[in-house]
Formats: sequence, structure tokens, C-alpha cells
Amino acid sequence: MSGAALDFSRQRSASADPLFRRILAAGAAAGGILLLVITGYLIAYSSPLWAIQSPISFLTTPAWITGIEQADGSVLEVYGAASVIFGTAATSLIAVIFAAPIGILGAVYLVEFAPRRLAAPLAFLVELIAAIPSVVFGLWAVGDLSNRLRDSIEWWIASSFGQIFPWLSEDPTAPASDSVFRAGFLLAIMILPMIVAVSREFLRSVPISLREGYIGMGATRWEAIRDVVIPTARVGLIGAVLLALGRALGETIAVTMVIGNAEGIPSSLFLPGQTIASKIANNIGETSGAIPLASMVALALSLFLLSFFISLAVRLTLRRFSQVRIVS
Amino acid sequence: MSAPGVSLHEALLQPGAHDLRRARTDWIMQRIFQVAAFLAVLPLFALVFYVTLRALPWLSPALLTNNPLDQQPGILNAVVGSLQMTALAILVTGPIGIAGGVYLSEFAPRRVAAIGELVIDIMLGIPSIVAGIFAFLVLVPILGFSGWAGSAALGVLTLPIVMRTTQEVMRLVPPSIREASLALGVPVWRTTLLVTVRTALPGVLTGLVLATSRSLGETAPLLMTARGTNAENFLDFGTTMNAMPIVIYQYANAADERSIGQAWATALVLMVIALLLNVLVRWRTVNSRVA
Repeated sequence: MSGAALDFSRQRSASADPLFRRILAAGAAAGGILLLVITGYLIAYSSPLWAIQSPISFLTTPAWITGIEQADGSVLEVYGAASVIFGTAATSLIAVIFAAPIGILGAVYLVEFAPRRLAAPLAFLVELIAAIPSVVFGLWAVGDLSNRLRDSIEWWIASSFGQIFPWLSEDPTAPASDSVFRAGFLLAIMILPMIVAVSREFLRSVPISLREGYIGMGATRWEAIRDVVIPTARVGLIGAVLLALGRALGETIAVTMVIGNAEGIPSSLFLPGQTIASKIANNIGETSGAIPLASMVALALSLFLLSFFISLAVRLTLRRFSQVRIVS
Repeated sequence: MSAPGVSLHEALLQPGAHDLRRARTDWIMQRIFQVAAFLAVLPLFALVFYVTLRALPWLSPALLTNNPLDQQPGILNAVVGSLQMTALAILVTGPIGIAGGVYLSEFAPRRVAAIGELVIDIMLGIPSIVAGIFAFLVLVPILGFSGWAGSAALGVLTLPIVMRTTQEVMRLVPPSIREASLALGVPVWRTTLLVTVRTALPGVLTGLVLATSRSLGETAPLLMTARGTNAENFLDFGTTMNAMPIVIYQYANAADERSIGQAWATALVLMVIALLLNVLVRWRTVNSRVA
């Protein structure tokens, strides 16, 4: 009978379902396995370092000395990540200080005030910034932006506050050719689109009726934003900034190109420095021997853990907004 | 309370000094928001303008047909290297990422899906230099500095992008479409592939394009894996391979005009490719929930 034949074909194809699911599950598992393997490799390859130095001393020592032979014949080796951790923290914080207010205010404009015809193209242009490769940002900074910053914002801050705060001072006759501040400012530009895009999503998710209710009671639009929209979207805005912070921490090549790659903790933000990522990028090429390599991997492991905790924090912050999702 | 000749009703409608101040604050705040929004797009124009300005004198047909050390400066091997390493990374991680994304949105039990999402979040946050050092540790000792290692580093970065976008767009497919197909007796695998994935296909392709764009622009992981070369490297994955970002980075601080010119020209080519890819997919999605 044709019915039986039909049945048979259906059963045969239905029996492909478990296999199909397993193939798909294998794809998902690949992601998890890859993450575990990466973690495993970082831990395993950094372990030779822990034999000569504890993780605590690694994280708190500012000096980084790779095998200098002493007078008595012993070899001095110190691997301290404190100065690069300082560089990473300083550049990321500078980035967030500049990018968060402008990004969030800009997102408020796009959602609350911009006419429809303007809002879409503006949002689109801001997101395009995110598409530009970081090495192109780096080149732009080396060729143009860095000098402009030195002669404008950096000069202004140094001449206004440099006398009061030594960490904001700069020699006006010979400003450094690279600086931590300029790297941080470049990062601000690079993370701006992410802050705008994510904040915009959350601001848009605030129900219109809340604004209407408040404005209907006589509030101005600004008052509605201040008292209703921003408090409602607050958690999302914090998440947006955290996400951008995570991005700034790991950014490598653009920072490497403008930060100057100087050892030690700089006495001023307007002097060259180094970040975790830029140190790896700079030194991995000349690294030989188990312990120097382990020290590089230990840096990578710290960066990995840092971004791991930021991702976790973002996830916990944004958990309640399951309907708003963010890619890249 | 009210002035003579003015009813209470009218007096209440008169704007007082307090109201005028509020209106003024409102106006000022609107301008501040507006300025912030324009400041946010300013860098795009400044960067595109400046890169174009510096690159224009070096643009010539020879740029795309010559290698770095040829008589005429060129970046052929870098363009080829970038494209083939990215292509390999996407060819491998694309199907895996799509499969994983489909599984997480369609079949995974709640808890597995939650863990999967967390894993993707963490992987999206992995700094590119960490992906690079991973490929450096795993593959460089076996295969040396090579295109293989470069592709592997890129793959670590593209996999979560593809998986996340796939998962997100699959979620947007209305359940009724799946149910209609299943009710007709179509087996699950055919329903998934021919109905659900097909409906979500534009979004899945968006994910692939975004991953491609990200991968073409990565520098740090390639510096420590593919290393760069001045020789031709067409399909020669076994040895060092050049890439556009490597050329930009290595020539950015060069002493001679020619090398610096090559860096800017390469930056323009790379930037145009990245912008085009993103214009292609983002214009449609920027105002929808899935980006």
C-alpha cells in the first residue's frame, strides 16, 4: 500500500532526528570545550612561573626584570604585573570617564529627542565606528589624533591641574611623544559606539506610557528623562558601561601603537606606559625560555580572568532584561 | 491670591518664573544631549577623512597587484593572506557556530541553554590577544608561525559571534511557524532546517558577515601566529602569512615615506572593506532588536 510506504519514509526520516540533535549539540559543545581548553592552556603554560614566584607577588610587584646576571653569578628574575595592571586600569578608566557620559547622553538624544529621520542615520553612523578595525584607529592616532590631543585636551588639563596634582603634570617644553592619557582617550572613541548602542536598546525598552504619564502631569521632557527614563533604564546603562569597560581592558593593538610601551608605573598620566595587552603584544616575539614564556601567559591569564569577571558582572547586571540582547 | 481681574483658573495657567526656569532647563538639556550625539559621530568623519587624505597619493592599481618589496609598492599578499585566513576561520567556525546556535535556541534544556549563553558571553569577551596567545601556544610549536595558526586564532574570535547571532535570530522566529510544519508531519530536522533556519537565514548571514568583518581587522592575534611576510602566500598556509592589519602595524612607524604610505593605503583598503560589509548588514538591522 502507498500508505505503508509513506509511513515507512516518515519513520526513516524521523529517526534522523536524534542524530540531527546530536550534531547540533556537538556544535554547542564545541564552544564550551574551546573555552575550557583555552583556560586549561593558560593555566598550564603559566604554571612554571608560579614555581619561582607566587601569584600574589606577580600581581603586586611593579618591577619586571628578565634574567639579569648578578655580580655573584646568580640570575635576577622578577616578574611583576603591577605596572601593566596599572596601565590597563588607567587607560580603561580614562576611556570610560570620557565615553560613558557622551555615549549615554547621545543615546538619550537618539531615543528621546532626535526626529525619526535623524535618529536612524545617526545611530547607524555611530555603529559604523565599531566596524573600523582597531589597527586603523591606532594608525589614525599615530598620524594625527595623538598630536592633536597633546596640544589640546592634554595641554589644557596639564596647565590647569598639573600644579595641584603631580599625576596630571606635563613638561610644557617637551611633552612626551606618547602617553597613557592619549591611549585612554583613543579607547574612549573606540568604546563609544558600544555604549551608545547598548544604552539605546535599554532606553528604548522603557515603556512610552511611563514618560507620557509623567509629562501628562506637567513635567518637561528633561524632567521625565531625569526622573523616569534614566532611573528605569539605570541597570541597563550600568551594564552598557561595564560591557564597554571589558572591551577597553582587552584592546591591544591601538593602545600598543600610542601608549609608548615604557616599563614601570608612570609618575603622570601624560607620560608613556604599558598595559597588560600591549606588553604581551610587544614582548611575545622576543620571548624564549620556559619562564619568560610563562610570564607572558600569566599576563594573558590575568587579562582573561579580568574580562571573565566583567562578562559575569554584565550578565548578572542585565539578567532581568532578558528581552534585550547584545551581540559583540 | 490671584491678581484682581484675573480668575483663579487663568492665574494657574500663567507661566510663573519657576515654570520659565524649568522650560529653559529643558531647552538647555536638550541641546546638551544633542551635542553629545554629534560628538559621538564626529570621530567617524575625522578618521575616515584623515585616512583617505593620507592614503590617496598612494592609491594605484599596482597597490593591489604587487607585493610589498616589488618595484611599485603593493599589498597583494596582505590582501590575499587576510582573505584566505578569514575564509578558513569562517568556513570552520561558521557551520559549528550555526549548529551550536540552533541547538541552544531550539533544543537545549533550559539549564543547558543558560550555561551555553554564559559560555558565549565569556567567549565574546575574550580579548583578541588572549586568543592569539592560545593559538601561539597550541599551534606554533607544531606548525610554526603559519597561516594555520593565524586562522585558528581568528576562529576563536569568530565562533562566539556566529553562535550568538544565530541563537538570537532563531529566537525571533514565531513558534507558530514551527508548529505548523510539525503538525503537517514534517520531521524535526527538516522543520528546523527548511522552516526555522530558513526563516532566520538573513540574520544568520548577518552573523557570518559580522564575524568576517571582525576577523579581517584583527591584528594582535595574527602578529604572534601568522607573523607576516613579504613573499607571496597564496594558499600557502604552512608558512608565515601576511595580512592587511600586519602591514598597517608594521609600517605605521616606519622611517621611509614609501612604507608609511603603504600603511595608510592598506588602512584605507581595510577600512573600506570593513565599512562596506557593515553597511551591507547593519543598515537593515540597526533599528530592529537584533543587531
